[in-house]
Amino acid sequence: MAMTPRERVLAAANHEEPDRVPIVLGVSNATGIKMKPYRDLKQLLGIEAPDDYLYRWPELGTAAPDEETLVRLGTDVRGVCDVEPASVLEANASRQPHADYINSWGSGATEIKRGEWFPMVCPMKSATTIAEIEDYPWPDMDDPTRVAHVAEDAAALADEGRHAIMATPWLLFPLERAFAMQGMDTFLMNLALHPDFAEALLWKIQERCKVLMGHFLAALGDHVDIIKIGDDLGTQESLLMSPDMYRGILKPIHADYIAFIRERTAAKVFFHTDGDVFPLIDDLLEIGVDILNPIQTSAGKMANLAELKARWGDRLTFCGGIDTHRILPTGTPAEVRAEVRRVIEILGPGGGYMVSSVHTVMNDVPAENILAMVDAVQEYGTYPIGRGSPA
Amino acid sequence: MTGHEELLDQLYGAVLSGEVNRAVEVTQEGLGSDIEPTVLLFDAMIPALEEIGRRFETGEVFLPEMLIVANAMQGAMTILRPLIVAAGVETIGRFVMGTVAGDIHDVGKNLCNVMLEGAGFEVIDLGINVPAQAFVDAIREMEPDVVGMSAFLTTTALEFARNIKLIEEAGLRDRVKILIGGAPVDQALVDSVGADGFAPDASSAVRITKTVMGA
Repeated sequence: MAMTPRERVLAAANHEEPDRVPIVLGVSNATGIKMKPYRDLKQLLGIEAPDDYLYRWPELGTAAPDEETLVRLGTDVRGVCDVEPASVLEANASRQPHADYINSWGSGATEIKRGEWFPMVCPMKSATTIAEIEDYPWPDMDDPTRVAHVAEDAAALADEGRHAIMATPWLLFPLERAFAMQGMDTFLMNLALHPDFAEALLWKIQERCKVLMGHFLAALGDHVDIIKIGDDLGTQESLLMSPDMYRGILKPIHADYIAFIRERTAAKVFFHTDGDVFPLIDDLLEIGVDILNPIQTSAGKMANLAELKARWGDRLTFCGGIDTHRILPTGTPAEVRAEVRRVIEILGPGGGYMVSSVHTVMNDVPAENILAMVDAVQEYGTYPIGRGSPA
Repeated sequence: MTGHEELLDQLYGAVLSGEVNRAVEVTQEGLGSDIEPTVLLFDAMIPALEEIGRRFETGEVFLPEMLIVANAMQGAMTILRPLIVAAGVETIGRFVMGTVAGDIHDVGKNLCNVMLEGAGFEVIDLGINVPAQAFVDAIREMEPDVVGMSAFLTTTALEFARNIKLIEEAGLRDRVKILIGGAPVDQALVDSVGADGFAPDASSAVRITKTVMGA
């Protein structure tokens, strides 16, 4: 019997077989679609809808797709996001064209080519002392304009009752935020050279994140099924830092954060972490991660989907897995379909899998391949898996 | 242990533990005790660099530990580099490096620079967001043996092909070897853009550079 999208997502997340593998696309940045492929998609589909940006943030460049497009994609989730305070949105909207974008943390992005923004404004670049952490003008997370729309947006989705609600406050990720404040290389060096400072900075960031997360979850109330957090812990070949360093410094912070979230919501904890994080999966499970994303199959051991499924598939839900390094940007639609089928046949049995691209659908992905991805889920993702028509 | 050996040992230790201030201090002390700049480089700093590269390849250390060693090495090299150049020490080759247009990621590139310089290459870093024409101009003006291009994103990896095409059109392709690197890079990309090779990480960059140079 056909399920509603929400029932489908919840069944998969509870390790039961839904009617078909759920699709998670177009919500949040890590499961999102950049503006160019979104425009291409609308054109291909003949959909006339205005461009809109996630987080009301054009410099991020990720689309907030219109409902007609989301329906055509068959995506089973709808998103709820926070926004920067109204004063910050206004300051950025009225700044000089092409000037740096600065957020409430004091970090920001520089336009290096027309329309292409990179996070290059790092206000704590030179900091190495606890005093500098104490003196820093940290953002006000009690500003009500950050979440003023959240309760209404979530309630509207809940009233409709059709889709699973996936909530993603922007980058409440301690390590990623530390990179934004200091620059990635600088903060990684501080982890090695000034671990007390690095750890204190992470806890300070976490303290700010928790205040906003608390307000965000309070505004959502019961109207949330998945709460997305994360931190990129992997590289193409292995981990960003040693397992000992993760376990000594960052894992307690993630554990504390997830415990804080779990005290306030029954939503599933969706953890985004790029790269090869194979050696840390037991740790992530231990601290309460329910759904792991994006399963970057191009990175090291993450290619070994069968082992992922065999070792953790009964306890951990996988979301992602459709390669954005090769298949989606350069594959043919037939290759995309074959890859979706392959991944579904490994990760899909027994539930516990949701299809998504490995991170955002970038500007180099043809709209035809986005459609090939989601249409292949309809074709090969129906349970029981393996009964789809031949490729 | 003689005074010189002790200083070299201290420099090795300072670089390996990523203590940049200490590395600079011992370098100055070494020069003050009449140790040749090349001896400080080849008998202390490069062994430290090789050791951290070995530990990285075997998974004993990760990016933070690599970065601090590179940083300490760079600190000491700001003192040694002009002295080595002035002494007319021959390099094994000239390497022009840059992150392609539209991309600003440079952690991997900067690590490669340090490893290459440590191995005896002269490294000219064009920086980040480097336009295709700047690579062409650098080849013409600096006559490097090898050009390295870095890109972190699949979207900016498209620049490899564009840059190599421009280098070909300028009639310069047979004058240089071209290596590419960054997250989306693999042998298939090397073949499709017409590069000569790729380095999956900084510690293998030296080996691959020497291989393509036939050195």
